[in-house]
Amino acid sequence: MIMMTRLSTSLMTLLVLSASSLSAADADSAESPAFYKEKVLPILEAKCFECHGPKSELKGGLFLGNREGFLEGGESGPSVDPDALEDSLLLDAINYGSYEMPPESKLPDEEIEILTAWVKAGAPIPKDAEFERPEGHHANPATLVTPETKNYWAFRPVANPPVPQVKNSDLVSNSIDNFILQKLEAANLSPVSPAEKQKLIRRAYYDLTGLPPTIDDIEAFVNDKSDRAFEKVIDKLLNSPQYGERWGRHWLDLVRYADTNSYERDDTKPFIWRYRDYVIKSFNEDKPYNQFIKEQLAGDEFEQPTPDSIVATGYYRLGIWDDEPVDQKQALYDDLDDILLTTSQVFLGLTMNCARCHDHKIDPLPQKDYYSFLAFFNGVKRYGVRSHESVMDASIGPIAVNAEDQKRNETRNALDRELAEHDRKINHVDRRLQELMTPPEKEDFQAVGVRVDIAKKYAGKGLSQKLVSEYAEAVRRRQEILDTRPPEVAQALMVKEVGKTPRETFILVRGNANVEGAKVEPAFPSVLSPPEPVIRAPSRTESSGRRTALANWIASEKNQLTARVMVNRIWQHHFGRGIVGSSNNFGNIGDKPTHPELLDWLATQFMQGGWKLKAMHKLIMLSSTYQLSSQSSERELAADPANNLHWRFNMRRLSSEELRDSVHAANGSLNLKMGGPGTYPIIPQEVLAGQSRPGAGWGNSSEEERARRAVYIFIKRSLVEPLMADFDFADVDSTCPVRFVTTQPTQALSLLNSEYMNRQAAVFAGFLKNEAVADPAKQVELGLTRITQRRPTKAEIDRGVGLIESLKQDGVPDDVALKYYCLALFNLNEFLYLD
Amino acid sequence: MTESNFCGRTRREFLWQTGAGFTGTALAGLLSDDGFLDRQTVAADGQTAWKNPLAPKKPHFEPQATSVIFLYMYGGPSHIDTFDYKPKMKGMDNKTIEVKTFGRGGHRNQGRIVEPRWNFKQYGECGQWVSDLFPHKAEMVDDIAFIHSMTADSPIHGSAMLMMNSGKILSGSPCLGSWTTYGLGSENQNLPGFVVMLDPRGGPISGAKNWSCGYMPASYQATIMRSKGTPILNLAPPEGMSRETQVKLLATLDQYNREHQATRQDNSDLAARIANYELAFRMQTAAPEATDISQETAATQEMYGLNGEKSGTFGRQCLLARRLVERGVRFVQIYSGGNHNDANWDAHGDLEHNHNLHAAETDKPIAGLLKDLKQRGMLKNTLIVWGGEFGRQPTAEYAKGTGRDHNSYGFTMWMAGGGIKGGTSVGTTDELGSKAVEDRFHVRNLHATILNQLGFDPNKLTYFYDGLDQRLVGVEHVNPIRQIIA
Repeated sequence: MIMMTRLSTSLMTLLVLSASSLSAADADSAESPAFYKEKVLPILEAKCFECHGPKSELKGGLFLGNREGFLEGGESGPSVDPDALEDSLLLDAINYGSYEMPPESKLPDEEIEILTAWVKAGAPIPKDAEFERPEGHHANPATLVTPETKNYWAFRPVANPPVPQVKNSDLVSNSIDNFILQKLEAANLSPVSPAEKQKLIRRAYYDLTGLPPTIDDIEAFVNDKSDRAFEKVIDKLLNSPQYGERWGRHWLDLVRYADTNSYERDDTKPFIWRYRDYVIKSFNEDKPYNQFIKEQLAGDEFEQPTPDSIVATGYYRLGIWDDEPVDQKQALYDDLDDILLTTSQVFLGLTMNCARCHDHKIDPLPQKDYYSFLAFFNGVKRYGVRSHESVMDASIGPIAVNAEDQKRNETRNALDRELAEHDRKINHVDRRLQELMTPPEKEDFQAVGVRVDIAKKYAGKGLSQKLVSEYAEAVRRRQEILDTRPPEVAQALMVKEVGKTPRETFILVRGNANVEGAKVEPAFPSVLSPPEPVIRAPSRTESSGRRTALANWIASEKNQLTARVMVNRIWQHHFGRGIVGSSNNFGNIGDKPTHPELLDWLATQFMQGGWKLKAMHKLIMLSSTYQLSSQSSERELAADPANNLHWRFNMRRLSSEELRDSVHAANGSLNLKMGGPGTYPIIPQEVLAGQSRPGAGWGNSSEEERARRAVYIFIKRSLVEPLMADFDFADVDSTCPVRFVTTQPTQALSLLNSEYMNRQAAVFAGFLKNEAVADPAKQVELGLTRITQRRPTKAEIDRGVGLIESLKQDGVPDDVALKYYCLALFNLNEFLYLD
Repeated sequence: MTESNFCGRTRREFLWQTGAGFTGTALAGLLSDDGFLDRQTVAADGQTAWKNPLAPKKPHFEPQATSVIFLYMYGGPSHIDTFDYKPKMKGMDNKTIEVKTFGRGGHRNQGRIVEPRWNFKQYGECGQWVSDLFPHKAEMVDDIAFIHSMTADSPIHGSAMLMMNSGKILSGSPCLGSWTTYGLGSENQNLPGFVVMLDPRGGPISGAKNWSCGYMPASYQATIMRSKGTPILNLAPPEGMSRETQVKLLATLDQYNREHQATRQDNSDLAARIANYELAFRMQTAAPEATDISQETAATQEMYGLNGEKSGTFGRQCLLARRLVERGVRFVQIYSGGNHNDANWDAHGDLEHNHNLHAAETDKPIAGLLKDLKQRGMLKNTLIVWGGEFGRQPTAEYAKGTGRDHNSYGFTMWMAGGGIKGGTSVGTTDELGSKAVEDRFHVRNLHATILNQLGFDPNKLTYFYDGLDQRLVGVEHVNPIRQIIA
């Protein structure tokens, strides 16, 4: 850079000399209008106007068509500085200083000279050579923070709207139905009839637990004629541990949970599975959502942290991490951006992404608000710098929640370090002794108790007296430590801050980490008319307290978005689509709510009920709306094909996890063991071949482990289990609010031909043979029942028996024929789709 | 207007191919004129009518190229030893000079020159300089456009490969092949629209991230195709299952599924799923047919270097690429090099050993591919792209030896066919090849050129995600490389 400056200075000297030695002709004087028109403007037109001219999109907000444009400049500041002409950004850029313009290639020297002379002359532009700034580059009124934009539906305080009256009050089971029926009646539409009980309970089981009911569960429900029959089912499911596995997985999609970092090494995130288990446990405990928020965002700063609140802060460690970034500073901001946009989308339904580089173009989110929001996280240490050790240092720590734990951990660590010292000394002497000892002594030496005695024999005969006494002491002390050291404190992946004082935060010009603009302090998005954050550094940890301020604001009943966003997600996972379809984006570009009053009413119920999810599930599932059939109705389908008004229930396909779990549930192999490090399904060689070191980073699990629920599968970012990928598993690099449901031939190929499905079909066949002895009709009946959770018809049974018999006639062995039938069962639409 | 009409809101120009014996009735209802799976929010609600996301679609304007074959030289070939002739480096071997470099070894201000290790000669009417590494490719220079002034954001494999494949150094965005099939669909539903072939020594680093569909649906994910054995994962029925058995099984399945569908006629997903079993069944025949190179003449096989000891594997993959493109596959990417170190172009140690090996593996196959496409009249609408994630430095990485570190400040890539002006060169690097100086182009310009040749305005091919219209080329306006477009 010094070289560059010198170069430019000498160029300028040269230029000044040559300019002054030129004749006095008009166009030769840099101040003259002709100089601009004949020399400067042609360069600007040829080299600059494509991006910064009167017909351009004004890249970086810079317009070079009139003098005002040069003086105002763009996002990087003025192009010409009248007070320090020689230091003008324009000259820096054309000399390829901190900017490089034009980007394709540097201007020829003579053109640089012309522009330099002109700038040094004060950059005069004759009026008749000025252009108008192009239209359409003024701010969109929807993106300014004004009383109007603050009045956008999602930014208004949550209302508690009255429950509307409806004509068909006999169709109402609870208030949700009033809101739904009101709109249906207004559209002159009617809901379809309630779902059959068998279909309803199947729906409920999958919705709440991701697993099918057994035929006994179904028959008990069908035969229970009491008014509370369905409520009893809901209660049972909400109390089963499988509930947390199903609903925890929805949360894991949102926070982009994965077990590895991506990029070249794609290493495992140590202990990250504890976060996954924490989420599952939190759902099962019906932890109030506001507490769930606070634990994840600032559980480490609690006055009285719990093991859960420490593990919860693994939230900050879930993202991708490049251990070898091009630019460390930019990488820091990339990581912070990842945390910021996940947090704003997941908790607030705000997509603040674009405000990183400029004011948001669609929502009233100024760039300053982005960086003020980022400041809440700017004390967080980066996940790591390069090495595994750096990760251990920045992101791993003991789950020590009180002074006693911390002391215990420190003591243990100190003793472990001492132990290593003793081991080193002992090993040294042991090696020497191996050279000195007689064969019988070597034999004796295998017993630990005699070692010191043997060593003493060699004192002064190969070993110094001093060394022997040190040896004796080390052996004694070693044993003492092993006997008395406190038990290890469990480790977790967690957030850590740089100290009480976070890094300073600046607006970054065009998002460039190396171009700092104005300094900002932590603040909430201004369009939400928020309070000033109250930041107090916690006494017991080395952190700033900023995240606590953020967590308290997000988890507050006054926050306009938090409760709305969460009840919308609950609704989404019951009905297939949220009241706001774009559940991570409540802004202007998101979908409008189909039932805004219902959304507010639910949000109010949610907060009044102590932010408890289970009560919301029950409320929703006990509505008539939830219990509708999925059958079509011609008139309603024509009027509202997207079912925005909820005249029926939406069918859905099983998720990738549900599909896998259901395969194991059907064939009797499902292992309901909970928690712990991830399991490794067998991944075919063809897929492993895509890795630079095939098989690297993928472990082995026993068959029982592989039959555990899919939520426990190890998630390696660069190696996704193919069946999960085919059935639309979440993309785990960024927050996933809604999963795709694709239908494609690779799904048919994997369900028919994959080793996994064929193995499971064989297990299923074995199960059927075992349970239904040698009667093919019984085997088929049981198989169909376990797949569809209903009693099959005779025709269905005959069809299965027909296939098996026909295959046998072709010479297919009995067991194999049954296996193939089982394979067909796993491919039934009725198996994969819920009514 | 054009923008909002794009991707699905446009009328379909083609109907899904109706193969013999295929359930035309099931499919007829699936092809409607509007709507497209371009918003994740409506993709999962169980209500949006099913559309074949890979049905052929019209781009923004008449395309020059309808298929792309990306020959990916993983590890980063040295530009100054291949196509970027640096006569002034002659005689400078081992001289220490001031030059700014940035590679895996970090930023440096000086280094020891490693003189290019191969002789250069001029070829063709255009007089392009090519080193002795590529005697066969050299014969084709009049069909090739060289971009000597490429730049990229990262000189580190992981992020640089993501940049070359997905336009971003951060993990999580869809790759070029996904964008292509998203934009154009596929001409042949019996074959995957986007195929990747790997080096037998292993995949590239970061594996599947390089062909990920990122935030797009799985319909646009790549299919890995193997040049030997079963070409596609799960394509072959399980061992021991005869075709007859499979047909019976599928027939039974079909009966169950149609009965189930009978009372759910309005759900097009169910019909699509039924149809997909027939499609899958057809793929079982179509893919092995496409990959059966015994149908090719001995002369053709020889042209691709199939008989060569070193060039056999890559030659076979190049020949497969032609056969796939011939059958309507949209995007094929072949990796030269895999695994780590000298198993790919990453010549940190012995430059000569490394590049001699990889050039010998690929030179004849690539020349054969160009010749074959040309003689079949396919080159005019097949776009060939050649290059790695970056180039290499003019100086040595270590105190001893000829190994070169990574260089993203300047490197060469080339394109041919698909409306590219053969026999042209654009851009230069400095006298050492340490950085691009004239007509500098970024990977984004390369991507913009590819999309442009496929008929897209690269700044208007968008996918709505994360609250904004995402583009392969990013948010800033990007131009294609006009100088090399015919």
